[in-house]
Amino acid sequence: MSNDILLSTHGLHKSYGKRDSKFEALRGINLEIRRGESVAIVGKSGSGKSTLMHLLALLDRPTKGEIRLGDKQTSKLKQRQLNHLRNKEFGFVFQSFFMNANDSVLNNVILPLKIAGVGRRERKQRAIHALKIVGLETKAKNKANDLSGGQKQRVCIARAIVNQPKVIFADEPTGNLDSGTGEKIEELLFNLNKEQGITLIIVTHDQELANKCSRQIHISDGHIVSDDTITADIESADAETEEEVGPTEEEVAEEIRESIIEERDEIDTNGDGFIDEEDQPHVTRIKSKGSK
Amino acid sequence: MKVLDIIRDANANLLRNKMRSFLTILAIFIGSFVIILSTGISAGVNDFVDKQMSAVGGEGYVEIMNTAASEQVTQMFNQDAQEYTEPGENENTDIYISDKQIEDARKIDGVKSIDAFKNASAEYIKMKGENKRFKLNLNLVPRGNLNMDLSAGRKADPDAEDYEIIVQQNLAESLGYDNPEDIVGKTAEIAVPSTVACFTAAKRSDCLTTIEAKIVGVQAPGILAMAGSRANLALWNKINEINNENMPEENNRAIQATADVDPAKAEDIKKAMADLGLTAMTIEDEVGQIKTFFDAMLAVLSIFGGIALLAAAIGIINTLLMSVQERTREIGLDKALGMSNGRVFLNFALEAIMLGFWGSVFGIAISVLIGQAINSVTHDSILKDLPSFQLTIFRPEDLLGVTVLIMLIALIAGVLPARKASKKDPIDALRYE
Repeated sequence: MSNDILLSTHGLHKSYGKRDSKFEALRGINLEIRRGESVAIVGKSGSGKSTLMHLLALLDRPTKGEIRLGDKQTSKLKQRQLNHLRNKEFGFVFQSFFMNANDSVLNNVILPLKIAGVGRRERKQRAIHALKIVGLETKAKNKANDLSGGQKQRVCIARAIVNQPKVIFADEPTGNLDSGTGEKIEELLFNLNKEQGITLIIVTHDQELANKCSRQIHISDGHIVSDDTITADIESADAETEEEVGPTEEEVAEEIRESIIEERDEIDTNGDGFIDEEDQPHVTRIKSKGSK
Repeated sequence: MKVLDIIRDANANLLRNKMRSFLTILAIFIGSFVIILSTGISAGVNDFVDKQMSAVGGEGYVEIMNTAASEQVTQMFNQDAQEYTEPGENENTDIYISDKQIEDARKIDGVKSIDAFKNASAEYIKMKGENKRFKLNLNLVPRGNLNMDLSAGRKADPDAEDYEIIVQQNLAESLGYDNPEDIVGKTAEIAVPSTVACFTAAKRSDCLTTIEAKIVGVQAPGILAMAGSRANLALWNKINEINNENMPEENNRAIQATADVDPAKAEDIKKAMADLGLTAMTIEDEVGQIKTFFDAMLAVLSIFGGIALLAAAIGIINTLLMSVQERTREIGLDKALGMSNGRVFLNFALEAIMLGFWGSVFGIAISVLIGQAINSVTHDSILKDLPSFQLTIFRPEDLLGVTVLIMLIALIAGVLPARKASKKDPIDALRYE
């Protein structure tokens, strides 16, 4: 059973700043993610869900606590090894795509292979294969910028799977897309999860998307407030945390979440489809509304 | 990621912002162009001076005069009034070089050979059987193993008993031989005046004696005054003998000497000779002034080039800093996908190097083109009489050296932006809008 666990965290803390300006983004996260799961990390802006994803994706190191990848203690790995792991084991899909706009679709997909030092012929073959999976092999020569939003996100998915990763981290993958296109992207991601067994970790505040995942982890103020497995009855490793927080707080969190989703367009002042620090004052306003 | 990938990417990234890259490369180009051109001219001048030096003697060749004589020469150019003082008892006022001085000089450490020679002057030269006569400015063929800048034939043998002469190329042309090869081996007639006879002769031609000499070589034109036609010692002595017919022996003494010395000891030998009352000059002393002039000019030019490069280096920093800023998200993505800090640094450092590389490549291309144009224009105009003088010479090692230097400067300029890029936090970089 234990080698079934892909990623696990043990007392994960992350804080930013020092002394007076110290901000604790994560306050003791314990969780286990199994191979083949599709996990939604749900939380409002500032809840720490993005920080958690960054830590899980080994983009950042925790202040305290440990992340294990399989049976590897990642805190003992050197930066080089972390880079290598990210390149080999992880794929990334971002809300705002992050493509090199003036480069060709093919070159965008090739990027992880280029970083890995794969030879020219092989990486081209593999990139075209990945593009076939997302149904964009005919666009290989096009400029990335000339694609529609949905196509761009499909290219990003092709880029994420080109290295045949174990995990795909998706940060608001449908946040910049209309609902129809977003559904297609979701379908693509869940197909990869089901057919290829790629573990999916999706950070989102879209409850609809979260509902499609096999497991939802709700984060608030750096704590896990709920961890529901829908399909399988996985014993929660976070019972302690749940007790600490209590059900009322969870209800409040749910309320907040819903109000955020409802008023998302209103809150999202900079129009990036993403409620982040820039929208903070509005979020605070909603929060006070929710707690009343 | 392989090196070839990094180089290809660096060039592709430079092409993304064509105008900005072009302007930065242009700035480097200006600096490299000036430096490469001045290096080319410097090489051309040095090459020419070296050739000239071997034409008049080269390394180890020393010309010797009595110090009193050389002072007389310098005083001709001295415009200040000088107070007269009675010469001291041992002060040398004689302009001639004595046999004792020669004997003492021969004993100086490093002096391989020394020849004192008397004056010899010829009236004119003409080809045997021809009528056209030309004035003849004659020197002695120097001793020692020297390369003369000959356009045809060989060096005259200083010790041969036959009369041998090397003529200057323009003289050979005037004598009717446009191709220097054709005059080699021909016999020339040299008319020599007898000084005493000429006092009383009714016609100048009455006091001239004609001797025949074999033309063994043609000397390429040069800028040094000493590069006249050259006689071997046998011919020289014969001319001196005719010049001094019926002349009192004490008037026919050596006023000049040449020596072949160990070049490494030249400075010590000059001092030792000064103690003997002799002034010795190496060829370097004589051509030194020409070289100093060019060197100073080129140093100034190089400084300008250096300043231009410095400004260009700041341009590189600026360009790359902008590029780092613009590509923050891209850097973040690269890092998220597993690129190491070192690679990010290398990517930007290599972009800087490529800027330097292209700047110097264009600098070389344009410099060489302009250098060739300068060579062909000057060859037909101001340097017409000096066909062996190429004003600009581009040696591959110089071009390579300048390219490497500029790439190094570019690399140093690239360090700051590259460090900035490599230190970017992938999370912040991905959040950056």
